[in-house]
Amino acid sequence: MSNFNVVGKRIPKLDAAQKAMGRAAYIQDIKLPQMLYGKILYSKYANANIVKIDTSKAKALAGVHAVLTGEDVPEKMKMGFIKDNPPIKKGRVSCFRDEVAAVAAISPEIAKKALDLIEIEYEELEGIFDPEKAMEKDSPLVHEHLKSNVLKMPWDVHYGDVEKAEKESAFVVEDRFTTTWVTHCCMGTSGAVALFDASENLTIYTNTQIPSLAQKDFLESLKAMGLKNKRVRVIKPIIGGGFGSKLDTYAYEHVAILLAYACRKPVKMVFDRVEEFKATSTRQPTVTYIKQGCDKNGKLTFRDMRMVLDNGGHTSWGATTPSVMLMPISSLYSVKNVKYSAKCVYTNNTYSQAMRGYGNPQATFAIESSMDMLAEKAGIDRIKFRKINQNHAGEETPQGLKITSCGLAECIDAVEKELHFNDNNEKGVGTGLASLIHVGGGARIYGSDGCGAILKMDDYGKVDIFTGGTDMGQGLDNITAQIVAEELGLSAEDINVVHSDTDICPWDVGAHASRSTFVAGNAALGAAKKVKKKIQDFASKLFETPAEEIELKDKMVFVTGNPEKNMPIGKLLRKAHFSPGGTMLMAEHFYDPDNQNMGKELKGNMSMTYSFGAHGAKVKVDEETGKVEVLEYVAAHDVGRAINPLLLEGQVYGGVVMGLGYALTEEVTVKNGEIMNANFRDYKLFTAKDAVKIKAPVIETDDKDGPFGAKGIGEPGCVPTAPAIANAIYNAVGVRIKDLPITPEKVLAALKEKTVKK
Amino acid sequence: MKPFTYLSPKTVEEAIAFHGQHSETAKYIGGGTDVIVKVKEGWMEPDFLISLKKIKEMSELHKNEATGELSIGAMVTHATLEKSLMIQNEYPIVYDAVSNIGSLQVRNVGTIGGNLINAVPSADGAIPLIALDGVAQLHGADGERSSDVKDLFLAPYKTILKPGEILKKITIPPQAPRTGSAYTKFGRRAAMELPLIGIGVLLTVDEDLETCTRARIVLGVAAPTPMRAVDAEKYLIGKKINENVLIEAGKIAADESKVRDSVRGKAWHRKEMIRVHVKRMGLNCLKKIQKIN
Repeated sequence: MSNFNVVGKRIPKLDAAQKAMGRAAYIQDIKLPQMLYGKILYSKYANANIVKIDTSKAKALAGVHAVLTGEDVPEKMKMGFIKDNPPIKKGRVSCFRDEVAAVAAISPEIAKKALDLIEIEYEELEGIFDPEKAMEKDSPLVHEHLKSNVLKMPWDVHYGDVEKAEKESAFVVEDRFTTTWVTHCCMGTSGAVALFDASENLTIYTNTQIPSLAQKDFLESLKAMGLKNKRVRVIKPIIGGGFGSKLDTYAYEHVAILLAYACRKPVKMVFDRVEEFKATSTRQPTVTYIKQGCDKNGKLTFRDMRMVLDNGGHTSWGATTPSVMLMPISSLYSVKNVKYSAKCVYTNNTYSQAMRGYGNPQATFAIESSMDMLAEKAGIDRIKFRKINQNHAGEETPQGLKITSCGLAECIDAVEKELHFNDNNEKGVGTGLASLIHVGGGARIYGSDGCGAILKMDDYGKVDIFTGGTDMGQGLDNITAQIVAEELGLSAEDINVVHSDTDICPWDVGAHASRSTFVAGNAALGAAKKVKKKIQDFASKLFETPAEEIELKDKMVFVTGNPEKNMPIGKLLRKAHFSPGGTMLMAEHFYDPDNQNMGKELKGNMSMTYSFGAHGAKVKVDEETGKVEVLEYVAAHDVGRAINPLLLEGQVYGGVVMGLGYALTEEVTVKNGEIMNANFRDYKLFTAKDAVKIKAPVIETDDKDGPFGAKGIGEPGCVPTAPAIANAIYNAVGVRIKDLPITPEKVLAALKEKTVKK
Repeated sequence: MKPFTYLSPKTVEEAIAFHGQHSETAKYIGGGTDVIVKVKEGWMEPDFLISLKKIKEMSELHKNEATGELSIGAMVTHATLEKSLMIQNEYPIVYDAVSNIGSLQVRNVGTIGGNLINAVPSADGAIPLIALDGVAQLHGADGERSSDVKDLFLAPYKTILKPGEILKKITIPPQAPRTGSAYTKFGRRAAMELPLIGIGVLLTVDEDLETCTRARIVLGVAAPTPMRAVDAEKYLIGKKINENVLIEAGKIAADESKVRDSVRGKAWHRKEMIRVHVKRMGLNCLKKIQKIN
């Protein structure tokens, strides 16, 4: 650690001042000449046929430039990962958030008025809202042409022999757990501004975590509109939070494009908070059946899990979360025999998307709750039980995950040291533990898991680096700057990170799967190494010394062991530039990790490395009200290397608070398909006053493939939080809550039931 | 949001005159924490907003030491009440209620009068004022009148105020010696929270410091408007206050409440919370009395 000058330093976010001073330009701040304002009209029903739409009154309203319905959407313009969802629906609506019309007008007020003037005649149909009921034979169909509500997805896998292992187990536990809808609650709401130039090339400003894939989606939309061979430029404004919500392109973006094209003017589409709650996607809700067993020594013998996922009215990325759920199911703790199947079922509810952890929190809630139950049944201390089964470096799990570095044991030790698990004699007080595994070295879910970086140095020793990676608040700017500065002997302030524009920045698959530090970091490091080599070569000639003996430090170039032979880096750059046959120092690097796509057998090393963690909670349960107070929280993570401990702690704190909301308070209340709490009054996001003190011990395992040893840590903070809390509640008062969120009502009801049974 | 003209009169009379001129198209605004939300959401579309902020007398908080009467101007903010040592020491139930309204930012601008006039079943501010037998002083085009705070509310979002009438201040009669009071709200988080149930208890005891001579049990969100649990109050009179007596009072209060299921919370749990917190607040009152006397 002491060898580093910039890596490992607590450097505040580089954009903190402009954000704090209100100068950061978010999508809400973008204003272009002649810009119009777009608005979307949503369905009035969860399930209905659209009999008739009359837009004549809206069109006649002064200030309205365009009114679009499903009829105006090109046939091939579809969204979602199976491309089955048009940005404006035609003929049938399948959930309340279905778009049925859109307008562009000279002001948001006129646009809204125009929406009110659109007359739609619906024929309401019986809705279906329970995924388990939707699987029954006589259930009505959400999409009749599909002949079934169950989606054709490959989630059915069996490693080893679960049946045999179950027979040989000394102890087996079995139960059912559920999780519900929660949502990202980005402080910056969704929005986009689309405009076409005179040659019909598209520029779109949009909040996205996937600029390159969004560019591809928009190109496909243009193609569907008959605009072939055009260019799409995606510009990201400063993003007010992502958490996975921006890992797809959405109706409002495609509608903005359609409206901008129809009007030949820039069109801005920005969600208000209610719309953000109602029309953006949630975390995937789950019904989980889990059975686990161990031998008489506490060694896990098998894990058998089955899930039903509410797919909602349309298929979005929520249906692919089992690909990540499989990771903890197959690989959290060493277990040889694993079975997992998941059915995604259409209903007339809202549909889900990526959200921090991508299925991992749902799966880990069931696994870690069940681990506690199994430990109790086997009569083994819950911490010891986990240690018996902990993962190890060098292990290859049934799914084929190759664990190269693993600090899980150290994480559990750190939590144990901080939390004092067993000295809680106070009534109603208890402790709980839960662990996690997550991808920490990219995740290959696409043809490429790569990221590009272009680096140029100016005449003064400063760097501009153009990265494919995305900073949506998580701090990739800092990480990139610190990595580059470390390699080139500069300070972080010398590095300008540009990530905002597909015209300038190279390709990247997106800011997801906790991959940015690892993948974008390695891309930046690769480019920096190439430039460093060029500097060394140039200095080698200048100082007549072998290139290997040239060091870069403190903005200087000098000869190892002969420090008086030195030159400021800026001066060297000018020498290189202004000498005969001059050169500028630039480099590019594309890093694509050597990880694997899961094939049809759902096997493969999806990430170059894996991050681990253990969370411990101490809670106090008010046995008269059912209310749970979190007294202490410890979240230890194996991060490989902390590039910036300050930002790392921020990620952990934020993740834990998000996880605590998931555990205790947050829930999108859906009644017959309709969202009943589309505001922060009734959607119980944790407030600053609810946040608890969190200790975040950092375990560094110096991963061999990570930039300076780092692994990804964006998501893990919210992964094992809910089971840590549920386990602590059980430890405190002896009731096990299996359905999130753990509200006072549920706890009190369970306590009463327990008393009755006694 | 529909544009509006913002008027700021300096006297109550001027405000009422403004309202007279613009009648249906005008609304009064206090701190704006409710009104602005309603305007933004389009639930209210006034052409004129008449601000009561500049009316000095409405922002006064004053206790008449000679008579013992407390006067709270309707425009007194929650933060002013929260920070007042006199309120903290002599009217703890008021402090309990206002110090947990919304957030620091909301309390800095939100007013006690606005909290009453908005007339939501969950208004934290109404409970202590009812428990303290507060009287609302109203002023309209036809002159002044007064009403017990408990009688202000007709239905959710509906009060006895006539169009153009202003709630000027709330007066609290002198408190009997050996009185303790406390309020709590039960919710799912610590700030920006509407109560799932709000419970205020005020007890006055005899010189023995045990026998109850006066009781107020006031509930929020237990009915369409804030309500007094009068049966439970009656039960306590003449009893020596202890945990068991308070448990019984809690049961009675829960029974007379009109709680219901909603997306926010279930009726059975709300009843439980009334039972538990009537007991807890009652014990809290007793502790306060015994500490002072």
